[in-house]
Amino acid sequence: MAETTSHDVVCPFCGIGCDDVTLTVDGAAVTAAEGTCGRAAQLFARSGAPAPSARIAGRDVSFEEAVAEAAKRLGASKTIAYAGLGTDVDGVRAVLKLAAKTGGSVDHYASEGMFRNLASSQRKGWVATTFAEVRNRCDLFVVVGPDPSKAYHRVYERVLPATGRFVEGPRRVVFLGGAPTEDAKSQLEGLSVEIIATPEGGLVDALSQLSALVAGSVPPAAGPEIKALAEALKAARYGVLAWSAASLDDDGDLVIERAVSVVDALNVTTRAACLPLSGKDNLTGAYHATLWNVGFPLRVGFRDGVSDHDQTAYATANAVKEADLVVWTSAFRPELPPASAAAVIALSHPDTVFDTEPAVFIPVGQPGLDHQGLAFRADSVVGLPLRRYRDAGLKSVADVVTLISEARA
Amino acid sequence: MSAVRIINGRVLDPANGESSVVRDVVIDGGRIVDAKGFSGATETIDARGGVVMAGAIDIHSHIAGGKSNITRLLMVEEQRANREPKGDFCGCGGGLSTMTAHATGCRYAEMGYTAVFEPAMVAANARHMHAEMKDIPFLDTGGYVVLGNDDFLLDLISSGAGQQAVNDYVAWQLAATKAMAVKIVNPGGINAFKFNQRKLDLDEANPHYEITPRTILTTLIKAVTELGLAHPIHLHGCNLGVPGNEDTTLATIAATEGLPLHMTHVQFHSYGTEGDKKFSSGAAKIAEAVNANPNISIDVGQVMFGQTVTASADLMSQHRNRGIASPKRWIGMDMEMDAACGIVPFVYKEKSFVNALQWAIGLELFLLVEDPWRIFLTTDHPNGAPFTTYPHLIRLLMDKDFRDEHFARLPKAVRKHSIVGELKREYTLEEIAIVTRAAPAKILGFKDRGHLGAGAVGDVVIYRDDPDREAMFTKADYVLKNGQVIVKDGEIVSIAYGQTHQVAPDYDTGIETKLDRWFDEAMGFKAKTFKIADDEIRDGQGAVTHATTRSA
Repeated sequence: MAETTSHDVVCPFCGIGCDDVTLTVDGAAVTAAEGTCGRAAQLFARSGAPAPSARIAGRDVSFEEAVAEAAKRLGASKTIAYAGLGTDVDGVRAVLKLAAKTGGSVDHYASEGMFRNLASSQRKGWVATTFAEVRNRCDLFVVVGPDPSKAYHRVYERVLPATGRFVEGPRRVVFLGGAPTEDAKSQLEGLSVEIIATPEGGLVDALSQLSALVAGSVPPAAGPEIKALAEALKAARYGVLAWSAASLDDDGDLVIERAVSVVDALNVTTRAACLPLSGKDNLTGAYHATLWNVGFPLRVGFRDGVSDHDQTAYATANAVKEADLVVWTSAFRPELPPASAAAVIALSHPDTVFDTEPAVFIPVGQPGLDHQGLAFRADSVVGLPLRRYRDAGLKSVADVVTLISEARA
Repeated sequence: MSAVRIINGRVLDPANGESSVVRDVVIDGGRIVDAKGFSGATETIDARGGVVMAGAIDIHSHIAGGKSNITRLLMVEEQRANREPKGDFCGCGGGLSTMTAHATGCRYAEMGYTAVFEPAMVAANARHMHAEMKDIPFLDTGGYVVLGNDDFLLDLISSGAGQQAVNDYVAWQLAATKAMAVKIVNPGGINAFKFNQRKLDLDEANPHYEITPRTILTTLIKAVTELGLAHPIHLHGCNLGVPGNEDTTLATIAATEGLPLHMTHVQFHSYGTEGDKKFSSGAAKIAEAVNANPNISIDVGQVMFGQTVTASADLMSQHRNRGIASPKRWIGMDMEMDAACGIVPFVYKEKSFVNALQWAIGLELFLLVEDPWRIFLTTDHPNGAPFTTYPHLIRLLMDKDFRDEHFARLPKAVRKHSIVGELKREYTLEEIAIVTRAAPAKILGFKDRGHLGAGAVGDVVIYRDDPDREAMFTKADYVLKNGQVIVKDGEIVSIAYGQTHQVAPDYDTGIETKLDRWFDEAMGFKAKTFKIADDEIRDGQGAVTHATTRSA
């Protein structure tokens, strides 16, 4: 088959949603051209080797046999944990439908950070913003905690180009309690970048001080740098506090709560917003599809045809302890299912190398390479259209799950 | 699909001038056919004692998209308290003011609704809205794209690019987002709030673009008129909820200079400043203006007492309202150089002067606007109340004793400030059929919906003729979707899916060069990624594209 090159391919992995990837496909082999970020290039790249066979307990079987075995195991199990959920919106829909029939819990493997965000947004609320607003309006960008570009590689290039449509003068970027990586520094070249270090575990205090200062209450024992930052935020036309919840420490809930209150206070007199990032492997799409179908933001449980929500009990880490069967879906990357005593049905990336061979393995296609689909950007609002660029004989998670569901007795 | 003959029912079909005519209604191949000339129906439904109407159409209900999901997130107690019960047709969702997709379709269908339109689709969020609509059963749907605060448009207008360029851009957006109509929310105001302006009157200039809401409104009214859209601009005006906004509303009506305009949830825009509380009803003045201006149509946005959640693209207003959130939490979001959203949970209290008067103002509008073809039955779901309160609202309109009984419960001060008790009008069944069927179809440009003539879609409802109109409209005896029985005795009996509707007027593709550059520079991604393809709608089924004067 002739080699084909596609331009402007949408990248589905981290949630920034770059749409300038160039993919060259030759048979099943895929390479991403230069310009694509390193991580995406690695995830898009495929050797061209034929997809592995489906397996039952390590033995190669036909696709149909694997589907039948998966259906049988679903019927025989008492407690099922649907985990991973690294799939497009249709894949999430199919998993939710199946879980509604079999009972069990549903969670996304990267949801930990998202629930730190929800601890604030769901209980108190916040004022948030999106990439294009930041790109055009933000004159003061405060990175709260560790540099998000470790997970969201091209984030600064995307949201903080040297000039913004409504930004007068150079943008300022302040790293509060974290520091930019070398790569981040190169993305931020030409901008004024400052670092305000906080002592270990001191980010919550720094944000509390900042919050009190911008709200105009009695100034606590804040250092000159925090005082100056408070003044700068009050003077800014559109200040943004950004963080990657997954990279925050155990006190992440509190960090976010304080950052939200800084923004809340700022909006009384000027404009400001939060940019909370959480979105690897369509976490955001899984969150949305679960909300509109079930009414809760992931970590849902189905029993006797009725659903409920428990952020602790239905978190993957806890659910797999109770489960006798884990249904693992990971179509974007060869992510491994969590270790547990439960049997595993793995609907996984074809290159997955398992530590423990699953009871059933069915290789699935990647949304945005093997089939079309929908994923969401990490700022929650924008949907990313994913297209098909090759035929490696791999079905989508949605198709496989639907077939398994239909094969149930 | 087999043919169905509905016999012995009283047919109420105001679009075809039929008021209570006993005749057969036959549906074959999903469409209504001439009953007299047809033989071979395989199924007969006896509608004796019942009233037969077309499927109802809601032109304004926030059922899908990012802001609906935020309401679900914020109202977790409501979700927990309202779970869909187990059953053959259960979607395992829940909610009331925050109903999940499947439940939304079920509850609407049980009341006899078969088409519902999402009136605030922010362009950047269009893909989400469409994905969500795929999971709503029974209903035909569509969205109105929110324009008038988007930086590209404001820049076009303020730079003097001209009406033609605006028209091309509007047509491009309708096609790109697969929208049915154009909505304006607080023209220029949402944008101004991003520049830290807190209020924007009709003739006040946007701090950055230096153009007024009036200019934005009249430019977009011209655009949809010249593009030949059936549905006029769907306007959520300036100063929502602000006492004294009756003047803005009257000035807005005058600003149209006779061109068509639909003004939405007008109850929230009909407030005066008379009395001790500096809050009074402007309904009489607004209704008088609506009556005098045949180019104006309105929907009411009736409030009902109880817990709900308000969800709007109007972050300027919602930020102002954040202090009255109940429970005490709210979410705001600036969105993608397009618009914004603000979600504020709220409890309307019967004993609150303001809330009780809001309830009365809504009813005054319903009762004072004379032409039922220009007023629509809405609660602005979920902003005034969940759509499940429609049957109660219908009874309030049809039954004066019932209405008076409810009015009598309001605080004395409210009764002194409202004329609801003096209004004798009772809506007839025919008028209900107009405001919920015939008129919505007409204002959206549907030739094959909202009526029961040959060629219409087979969305047909049979209600038992119960003198308790609330009971009557809560659960239909039968609902047919494209000729398939989906509801029997008020219960879902089978699943069917509707289609998505859009318009796609022709435009000069020269605008695309400008938009490509705008997306590359301002948005940070590509215009072609933004555009929604046909195969993204309902598993590749695409949207039904309706004719416009300037169709491709």
